[in-house]
Formats: sequence, C-alpha cells, structure tokens
Amino acid sequence: MFNSTDSYRIGGQAEWDWGSAENRSNRYYVRLFGKFIWPILICSLLPLLVLSWVISSHYMEFARQRVLTNFKQQVNNHRKTIQLFLMSRKSTLKSLARTHDRAYFSQQDNLQKTFGILNSEYDDSFTDLGLIDSRGNHLAYVGPYDLIEKNYMQAHWFKEVMRKGVYISDIFMGFRKSPHFVIAVTRHESGEKWILRATIDSNSFQKLVQSIQIAGIGQVYLVNENGLLQTCPEGSGQIMQPDPFGVPAHKHQGIEVRTLKSEAGTEGQKGFDKYLVASAWLDNPDWMLIVRQNYLTAFSEVNQTIRTTLTFLLLTSFIIIFVALLSTGYILRVIKRRDQEMDQMNNQLMQAGKLASVGELSAGVAHEINNPLGIILTEKQLIQDLLGQNPSMEELKNQLEDSLQQIGSQIGRCKLLTQNLLRFARRTQSSMEQVDINRFLQEVIDLMEREAKSGGIKIFTDFDQQVENLYSDPSQLQQVFLNLMNNAIDAQSNMPYGNITFRTKSDQKRKGVHIEVSDSGMGIARENLDKIFDPFFTTKPVGKGTGLGLSICFGIIKRLGGEIGVESEPGQGTTFKVFLPYQPPDQVA
Amino acid sequence: MPNARILLVDDEKVFTQNMSKLLKNRGYEVEVADSGESAIQTLEKRRFDVIVLDLKMPGMDGIATLEQIKKLGLFTETLILTGHGSIDTAKEAMKLGAYDYLTKPCEIDELEEKIKGAWNQERQTEEKDTREMVKKISSRYPS
Repeated sequence: MFNSTDSYRIGGQAEWDWGSAENRSNRYYVRLFGKFIWPILICSLLPLLVLSWVISSHYMEFARQRVLTNFKQQVNNHRKTIQLFLMSRKSTLKSLARTHDRAYFSQQDNLQKTFGILNSEYDDSFTDLGLIDSRGNHLAYVGPYDLIEKNYMQAHWFKEVMRKGVYISDIFMGFRKSPHFVIAVTRHESGEKWILRATIDSNSFQKLVQSIQIAGIGQVYLVNENGLLQTCPEGSGQIMQPDPFGVPAHKHQGIEVRTLKSEAGTEGQKGFDKYLVASAWLDNPDWMLIVRQNYLTAFSEVNQTIRTTLTFLLLTSFIIIFVALLSTGYILRVIKRRDQEMDQMNNQLMQAGKLASVGELSAGVAHEINNPLGIILTEKQLIQDLLGQNPSMEELKNQLEDSLQQIGSQIGRCKLLTQNLLRFARRTQSSMEQVDINRFLQEVIDLMEREAKSGGIKIFTDFDQQVENLYSDPSQLQQVFLNLMNNAIDAQSNMPYGNITFRTKSDQKRKGVHIEVSDSGMGIARENLDKIFDPFFTTKPVGKGTGLGLSICFGIIKRLGGEIGVESEPGQGTTFKVFLPYQPPDQVA
Repeated sequence: MPNARILLVDDEKVFTQNMSKLLKNRGYEVEVADSGESAIQTLEKRRFDVIVLDLKMPGMDGIATLEQIKKLGLFTETLILTGHGSIDTAKEAMKLGAYDYLTKPCEIDELEEKIKGAWNQERQTEEKDTREMVKKISSRYPS
C-alpha cells in the first residue's frame, strides 16, 4: 500500500506554478538577469573584440614593418654620410700626395698652406697635417701639438700605412695623449716612401656622427671591431672603452635591427627602457655605426593608433554594456511586474477556490443544521398541540421533559457543526505552524462526515501513530483535503453506498508523511488521468465544478514542498497519494 | 370523510417520531419508514394517500426512491421534505412527479396544508382514474 518508492503521477501541467507568489526570491531574478545579460554581452562584444583584434594586429604588423624599413633606410643613409666624410678626406690626401712631392711638403709654408686649404674646403675638420719619412721621423708638421721630433716607427698606424699604402686608424692616444684618429697615405718617390698624415678633428667627427635626423634618437656612435667606442654615445661611455650598451660587434651585411632592453639603472625610467638598435658596418675602416632609438618613440604613431582604437573599443564596449544592462533591467522589471500580476491572479484564484470550498461546506452545514432545527420545531409544535388539548400536569411534565431533553441534544448537534465550521473559517488565513496531521485529518473528516453519511458513505481511517508533526500551513492543507474528500463524496454520489479511507504513513527516509485518500467510486477514465491536475479541467456537469479544485491542490502541495499523485481504476475507485515533508522548503518557511 | 394515510420517509428517527405524533394529533393515519428501501416495502404492502419523503438518505436516496415507486407502479402523491434546500434537486424531484417540496425546518400547519393539497390531487387522480375505468367498462358493455 505504502512504500517509499511509490510513484506520484503528476498531472500534465506540472509547470503550472500556483504557489510561487512568494517563492521567487531575489536570487531567482539575479539568475534570470544573468541568463539574459551574458548572451547579449557575448554576442555583441565578442565579434567586436575579435574584429578589432584581427584588424589592429594586421595594421600593427604593417605599420611596424613600415617603421622598421624607414629606420633602416635612415641608418643606411647616415652610414653612407660618415663613409663619404672619411672617403672624401682620404681621397683628397691621396691626391695631394700624388700631385705634390716630398720636397714641397717639407717646406713648412707649403704644408701650412695645404692645411689651410684643406680646412677651408672641409669645414675645419682637420686637426693637424704632417709629413713622415719611411723611418717614422716627422719631417714637417702643422697643428697644435709639438710632434716634430717624434718617431712613429713603432706606431700601429705607421706599420699599417706602410703595408697598405692608405690607412684610416682606430681612435688611439699617441704622443699627444688624447684620443684621436688619423688618415695616412704613402707615396714612392726616388725609391723611398714618405707619408702624408692628417688627424681628423674629433669634435667635427663626433658632430657628424650624431647629426642623424630621426625622432627620439637616444645615441648614435661608432665602435671598432673589438667593440671599443670610436665616438662617444651621448650622455654615457668613454672613448676607447667598451660599448656601455653592450651591442655585440659581430660582422654582418647591411643593416641589422634588434630590440634591446637597457640594463636596470642605465636608463632608469620605466617604459622607456626598451630600445630599437640598428647597426651597420662601414667599408673602411672596420667601424660599426650604432643607432639606438627609443622604442616607444619609434612606434609612437602605431601606439597612437592603438590608443585611439582601444579608446574607441572601450567606449563602444561601455555603451554596449550600458545599453545591455539598461534593456535587460527593463525586461526584468516587466517580467517581475508580470510575475506579480500572475501571482496576484493565482492568489485570487486560490482565494476563489477557498471561497468555493467555504460555500460548498456552508451549504452542507446548513443542511445539517436544518435537520436538528426541524426536530426542535417539531418539539415546539408537540408542546403547543398538548397545550391545546388541556393536558394534565403529569402529561405536560412528561412532554416538556422529553422535548427539553431532545431540544438540548439537537442544540448540541448544532453546536458541534458550527464549531467545525468556525474552525474551518478561522483557517482561511495562511500561517505556518506545527500540524498533527492525524488529528488534522480527523477534523476534516468531522466536518464532512455527516454529509458523507447521508449519502451512504462510510469513512475509515488508518492512521500511523509514528507520524511526526509537520511544520506546514493548516489553511492550505485543509483546502487540499476538503477538496479531495469532496471529490471522493462526489465520485460516489450515484451509488447507494460507498466508503472513503484516509491513511497516513510515516517515511523516516524521506522525512515526511504519505497520506492516501481512497474512495470506492466510479474511478477516473484513463484518458483523463493526466489532465485532472490541469486548471479548469472538470468532468462534473456545468455549474457543479470549477475545475480548479485539484489544480489548486497540486499548487499547494508543490508549494509546501510535497508531491501529489493519483491512481485510479475505472469502476474500482480512486486513490490520491500525497507526500508532505516534515519541514517545508526554505522559501515557504 | 376518512383522514388521509400518510407514509413518512426520513432517516432522522427523532424527526419522524415527532412528526408522526403531530400528524396523528391532526387526525392523520401515519406510518414511518427510515429508508427508501423500507418505504418501497411498505408501499408494496399497503396503499397510502400521501408520501412525505426526505431527499438525503443513506442507501436509496429520495430521488432513487421516487424513481423506484414510479417504476413499480406504486404511484402516490409525494411531498418532498428535506434539509437540502437545493432548487435543482427539488426540480428533479418535481420532474419525477413529486407534488411539491418543503424545506426543513417547517411549521406543521404549512406541511398540513401541502398534505391536503397533495391529498386532493390524489383524490382527483383517483376519481379521474375511476371515471375512465367506468367509461371503459360501459363502452365494453353498452346498455
């Protein structure tokens, strides 16, 4: 009869949410908000972000390449300028050596004159000019230093120029004890070599090297093949010392560009420590031109575009989010209002159902009260009849005693009926309280028993005494069980006799109680079994039933955290099975 | 003229007992049945002038009893006296040939008046039946 795995056949409208008026917590709306807002945001923001990313990454690559090509071009031009500076001076010296003999340059006046012409032609880029014989002796000299007595036999540049004929030296200290470099050329004259040597003005050369016109240039300088500085980078390093920025001085063709980070403390400022470094080798001498450009400046245009794009993207995203929030909020408010309206309607329907029950019950009770009133009236008439017959005191006393006893008994009957009705009426207000379900069901039976009995229906109870008290709403439970009992009575109205059985059974596993209301009536047709919990479904004649009773029961039981189902065999009877938990779900309590 | 014979059918025993006394005080001959089934049995044994019938009874209710009376040809003018003052049920009873209906509680004078009306109707029906029977017999045997 009872077991914990009993299936509860639920009506077709399981979704019909009668009792959800107060159940929809804020959490429900927050979840709903999430369900709306996320798809909207994903569908609108994702394509925008992907498209922006694709376009900007393509553009950035293109712009980067353009910046790099431009940078390389400018570095190459500068390399050529330096190369030209050295080549022009070297060629001039070579020409002078070819066109003039040793005797000419031995004359101090001639050398002075030549030095003057050279500096006027080449913007004072020569520091001094000297004539040296093949043994390294300084034969003549024009310049600021006292070098006439010096012998260069052991000097590196001397050996190189004697070997090669033309030589541009690295920066060295020499006799003057200050960094400088020389351009020297040799000439064979009467079986002996002599050397015309010029020192390039370090300042002019430094200025030339640093004269590159690129925005945001950090340093431009030259290193020799050993990585020693030939010109000083602006603001750091010492001439003839290793490159403070550590650019590797390996040989390579063309222009090499790399991105290097300055060592901490060298440049210091955060965000400005990344440099674009280009290197290019001169043909002669073996010097490497190094140009360091601030990375952010180099790519300032690209960065500006990215900033603009990001600003646009951010602004668009904010607008989308704002509009999405606004519209979702509006939709949610509409839904909330509709829910409230629906809840109100549900409550009104519940109230209507309740009133219908009260009406039905009142009719039954009125009938039941009329019977004892009828008896009381007959007692009154009996006394009146007797008084009209001039009775003896004995007769009158007997009749009065009989009548008063009967009137008292009938008044008691009326009182019981009105008490039951009042108990029902008091329970029209919803409130959660402890309910002794066995006692509660007995009260419902008391209320309807007389009506059932007058229809030839006997009521049986099979209550499990182990059932614990429920924490539930008696007014709603009353509604449910009165409805079920009314249906059970109606199902047997066309039969001379019938019975209704109420059973309870505790379920410790599920922490609740199973309640069965069985009748021996006509049963429910199979095709109607799935529809009986649908609102407005009724098999009663028009005007007899609203079709709301069972759907209200379904809503109430669901709201109280329980289950309701039905089993029926046409012609055999129907059993409604209800499960109610001892503790209702949180939102009800 | 002899007083009418009345059959009182109701499951409320105290009520039928009191009502029986009151009617007897007014010169009626009264018998009591506490259910539809026992009313039919009584009607089969004896003829009554008026039946006072309750609608709500366990087992065979008032409507079923009326139907059975009709079916068995035991027709007697019937007054419905019930606590169930539903017009629908009363109309149903009238359709089945009930003379009139009264709701409990009702004064004995009111009931008596209706009983008299029903009895008159019963006598008229009887007279009509007798006349028709005489007519049939005389037409069969012309003088």
